[in-house]
Amino acid sequence: MSSLATSTTTSTAPTKTPSTLSDLSVTDTRSASSESGLGTNPERSSIKIAVVGKGGSGKTTASGILARALARRGVSVVALDCDTNPNLGISLGVGDDETERLAAIRQVLDDEGIGHAPSWDELIDRFGSDAPDGVRLAVVSRIENPEPG
Amino acid sequence: MRIAFIGKGGAGKSTIGSTFARLLARRGNNVVAVDSDPMPGMCFGLGLGVSDQPIPDDAVVEKLEGQPGARFRLRPGLDSVTALKQFAMIGADNVRLLSFGKTRGEWGDIARGQHAWSQILDELPTDEFDLIGDLPGGTRQPMTGWGKYADALLVVVEPTAKSIATAIRLSTLRDSKWNYREVVAVVNRVSEPGDAAMVELRTGLTVVGAIPLDSEVGAADRLGLAPLDVAPHSSFVESVDALVSACVLRFSSDQLNFSGTIVPKESFV
Repeated sequence: MSSLATSTTTSTAPTKTPSTLSDLSVTDTRSASSESGLGTNPERSSIKIAVVGKGGSGKTTASGILARALARRGVSVVALDCDTNPNLGISLGVGDDETERLAAIRQVLDDEGIGHAPSWDELIDRFGSDAPDGVRLAVVSRIENPEPG
Repeated sequence: MRIAFIGKGGAGKSTIGSTFARLLARRGNNVVAVDSDPMPGMCFGLGLGVSDQPIPDDAVVEKLEGQPGARFRLRPGLDSVTALKQFAMIGADNVRLLSFGKTRGEWGDIARGQHAWSQILDELPTDEFDLIGDLPGGTRQPMTGWGKYADALLVVVEPTAKSIATAIRLSTLRDSKWNYREVVAVVNRVSEPGDAAMVELRTGLTVVGAIPLDSEVGAADRLGLAPLDVAPHSSFVESVDALVSACVLRFSSDQLNFSGTIVPKESFV
């Protein structure tokens, strides 16, 4: 099956933050995905797309539509929210409450003190949430409480 | 007053913040616009185009091994007011622009500027300068104290689900260790009568200003020009001016009594 990771992250997280960003920058795991035509031959290719840009320019909205449009064509899609202020669930249509409830992979792994992360598909199984059109949504990291004093 | 604008990316922090800074300066205040967003933001509204004046290398020294505090600081003998006057850019209406390091160069170069500017903000005399800050969008930087120089945080919120979700997360800054006096909301791009009330209800934040959706702002943004210059009589500028008035009443240091609580103006009479 072909999988596609749609990630969204704010454009300019300065300096130290881009560790996740560079891991997820536009990467085509199989260089000639156009050769098979995405969606027409899902056995042959999988691609990773990262959506970046200025705040408010529509990254999250575009990512949500892209993920669902591909899923509707039969592509197996993982939507990965890499923004530390994660809102992709809202754009995918899972609702505000579920978006808020979704645990972030990184925090849970840190809290559990797991030295070696499980494989990516275990992570997606365990932390992901089902979004419309069969898209699997997962959140990488969320920062929504002030640093403790 | 010392305030900082926070909120979701694209909510309008830089446009509102830079307009706010200029309108406050026109009232006779010494205003410093603090742009800690690594993308150009406030410079457009201050009539400076894309610009970023880094702090010169020789103005900053690296601390010695084992010394406490930030890695970089102003060189000995260089005080915060002198550094501000020498190194901040001067924008329209004489607003000084302190621009943190932008995303160019290595982390070490960016840290030089950021640490030096943080020190300047810490040491500037509170009664001489008003600070109007613009933080990066989202939650990361506000949650790690980038706005700690401010007395109050103004969360810019659009009447949309994602903007409101962000504002709810940011509202936890009320209980942070930085002891902000207030965290309040400014509703931007209001297009329906109930928008401000809806934002107040859903975020639990007091709304101190409401700014209408204004096509003249969009036109200014296209050109990279300040709304205050191209559309001085727009509803956007009028409502930011009303926000300035509300903030002068609410956040000016001369409105604070010694316990740090806000008292009504009449009690000074």
